[in-house]
Amino acid sequence: MTLVMPQVDQLILDDKEKIVRDLKKFTNPINIISDLEGITPYETDALSAYKQKPMAVVLPENTREVSDILKYCNEKNIKVVPRGAGTGLSGGALPLADCVLLGLGKFNKILEIDFENRCVVTQPGVTNLALTKAVEHKDFYYAPDPSSQIACSIGGNIAENSGGVHSLKYGTTTNNVLGVEFVLMDGTIMRFGGKKIESEGYDLLGLITGSEGLLGVVTEVTVKILKKPQSIKALLLGFQKVEESGQCVSDIISGGIIPAGMEVMDKPLIKATDDYSKAGYPRDVDAILIVELDGTESEVNVLIKKVEEIAKKNKATYLRISKNDDERLRFWSGRKVAFPAVGSISPDYLCMDGTIPRKKLPEVLKEITRLSNKYGLRVANCFHAGDGNLHPLIMFDSNIRSELKKAEQFGADILKYCVKSGGVLTGEHGVGIEKRDLMCEMFNDEDIQQQLNIKEAFDKNSLLNPGKVYPLLHRCAEGGKMHVHKDNNKFKDIPRF
Amino acid sequence: MSEIYSPSSENDISNFIRESHEQATPIEIIGQNTRPIGRLIQCSKTLQLKNLNGIIEYFPEELYIKVKAATSLGLVEAELDKRDQELAFEPADLGFLYNGKSNKGSVGGAVSCNLSGSRRFKSGALRDHILGFQGVNGKGEIVKSGGTVVKNVTGYDVSKLIAGSYGTLVALTEIVLKVQPKNEESQTLLINNINLKKALNIFSKAMQTSVEISGACFYPEKSLNFFKLNDLDISTSITALRIEGPKISVIERVNTLKKLFDEYKKTMSVLENYQSRIFWKNTTDLEFFNNTESVVIKIILPSVNTGQFINQFENEELRYVVDWAGNLTWIAIPQNDSVLLRQLRKAALALNGHMTIIKAPNHVRIREDFLTTVDDNIRVLSLKIKESFDPKKILNPGKMYSGI
Repeated sequence: MTLVMPQVDQLILDDKEKIVRDLKKFTNPINIISDLEGITPYETDALSAYKQKPMAVVLPENTREVSDILKYCNEKNIKVVPRGAGTGLSGGALPLADCVLLGLGKFNKILEIDFENRCVVTQPGVTNLALTKAVEHKDFYYAPDPSSQIACSIGGNIAENSGGVHSLKYGTTTNNVLGVEFVLMDGTIMRFGGKKIESEGYDLLGLITGSEGLLGVVTEVTVKILKKPQSIKALLLGFQKVEESGQCVSDIISGGIIPAGMEVMDKPLIKATDDYSKAGYPRDVDAILIVELDGTESEVNVLIKKVEEIAKKNKATYLRISKNDDERLRFWSGRKVAFPAVGSISPDYLCMDGTIPRKKLPEVLKEITRLSNKYGLRVANCFHAGDGNLHPLIMFDSNIRSELKKAEQFGADILKYCVKSGGVLTGEHGVGIEKRDLMCEMFNDEDIQQQLNIKEAFDKNSLLNPGKVYPLLHRCAEGGKMHVHKDNNKFKDIPRF
Repeated sequence: MSEIYSPSSENDISNFIRESHEQATPIEIIGQNTRPIGRLIQCSKTLQLKNLNGIIEYFPEELYIKVKAATSLGLVEAELDKRDQELAFEPADLGFLYNGKSNKGSVGGAVSCNLSGSRRFKSGALRDHILGFQGVNGKGEIVKSGGTVVKNVTGYDVSKLIAGSYGTLVALTEIVLKVQPKNEESQTLLINNINLKKALNIFSKAMQTSVEISGACFYPEKSLNFFKLNDLDISTSITALRIEGPKISVIERVNTLKKLFDEYKKTMSVLENYQSRIFWKNTTDLEFFNNTESVVIKIILPSVNTGQFINQFENEELRYVVDWAGNLTWIAIPQNDSVLLRQLRKAALALNGHMTIIKAPNHVRIREDFLTTVDDNIRVLSLKIKESFDPKKILNPGKMYSGI
């Protein structure tokens, strides 16, 4: 599909050689890449249906360099697209033809581990998982765990406000970050928050978390770390009807239990994931529900018993409690390979990311089935049931000409229905370019204009990551979705769920 | 005398602000007018939101409540209580501080001040529990952000910006708050007669375990007379650790802590559920400062710096309480001691913290900065953000900073 992006500034492109020369003044010249071969790896992120080579790539090594480069680009009216690990699913790091792509890959060091204040100060290019690895010898961990955590960077997590399967109990990135060093488009270096628990004045840290690289560039991050729970156990439950699994989820929460994680998969996905991972899921059910509980040993046992009762009341026909950590991880093993499993049964798929009120799950799934019949495309669903985050995986074959378009329309219809059901367009993947043109489903012109005004306060000339998140023309058209061909996912080895 | 306008619909508010915007007339926004907080401002018009009240929807199983902005916080908490739920950030009842009697004020007021109770270091601040809002900006436009679901990254998280903005960006009309199941059991481990330094060590040590304490405060000697609890020994200083959750787990975790702090076993005791809840309510509600004539300030520091901070003022005989596991210190000082006030602010800054004035007589509110921010870049950006909502700076102008 065609995606309207900001107009290319031909004068800038004509000036490319001089710009590249100038950029070499701000950092080691080897950090500037402008040849075709060198820039090609940066032409897309994990929303690989969309590709665009940038004018040049810059890989600065410190905050001063980031500041100098941004200041220069701001003065010369050059667009800048920041990029972390490039694992984003909504095209937030898609370059523009006339942009300088600012890669933060060289910001890859953990600066300080402070167990006494229970925080870690790190550069933004460090991966999410590396933070936990750095503190786990003392039984600490960093709570948000997006599924791409082995590859995604903490700076990218801040840009997207990444979640994960444990966000119901432990919150998303925004609830776990204490401070950042942040460079504005005009080169101003700022600090929001720090090791102290909170700051005063406007909550700038809260505002920039999840701002998808539109407000500034993160150059240092302070996150809080938590002590690992004493005990973790999980239940694997099977239901004959999806409705029953949905009701079970509602009853668990109404019963005053906040599990560490709760995941639902529907029948097509159970089959695909079980074939793929041999997780040992029951095959004679319409839905499975994984419930993970943590706390002290006896607390977990009490909670397991309560969930067991609730599950029986909701006619669970399959019930298994993990006896040890290996078994618990096996429950998860199928769920964690949901995306590649679907990739193995379909040439292509689109991954959607809406959030709905939990109780609307059966209704939304019914609508998805109706749409699946209408479009003649198969779909499998996984659902972060605890926080209402739904990931329908729409299967299609891009070799059949009309199918990508059909799949994209199908996806857009699902997201519109999520909003109609009281939910939102995106729970954790971000708006990026993918859902940009659906923003009017949730917001009116005044809402969007207010957000654009905030953008202007940070970036007067709208040069930082333009064309993302907010519709260019304030119109509601259908956007593209994450598209994976023959499971040629850019980072095939990263789990997605 | 300011002209008071009390509209009962969002549209009326929008029209009122639009008109004020055209005429560039400054407006002071008040909810139930229970928190005289922020810089003292004088506006020719007052927008009172008290008629905008009522619960719009409450879905316990969806863990949220949506209310009109001036809905009484007490009413919301009573409604949640019926379903064994609560606001996990423990909003304070500052009525005791300001008037000597309970008055929780409105939800909008609480959001505007972003004040959170003793559980803050574990469960987050109010800003972590606001899912969405609707309000009227300084041009009279009705704007919204967020939604009713926890996981939502659609557009900027403007709700966070609104929390703690003291009515300088929008006049709030609707608010969605996340709610949580109530803890089945609350117990408090008390250690009497140890000094602040030891108390801070205890907090730190407890936080290094997986016991998950949800309250950690220190009351110095002679500061506890206001407590009316049978099992609380108020003759010496108190170091308190709260443990909440299912009863069986609470008992276990209290025992773990008892073992961990075995060296203090002679002065150790436990407040059971009922008294434990009252202890923390009294603490969160700042009853220690009940209707005080003094200036009350809030100091936030990295917890490891709190001991050093208090030591600097040991000759001043400060009235203080340390909460949030050492991250927060409440201090009361005499009304006219502006030298000390400024010294405290300077010392907090030097230790990477800040000071906020929470209660002060009008002459102090006029003379002294409300917030501490000294960073020029933050000030410039804050002004731009203010103008992005309110270009003529008519909503609570100067409430946070002079000129913003």
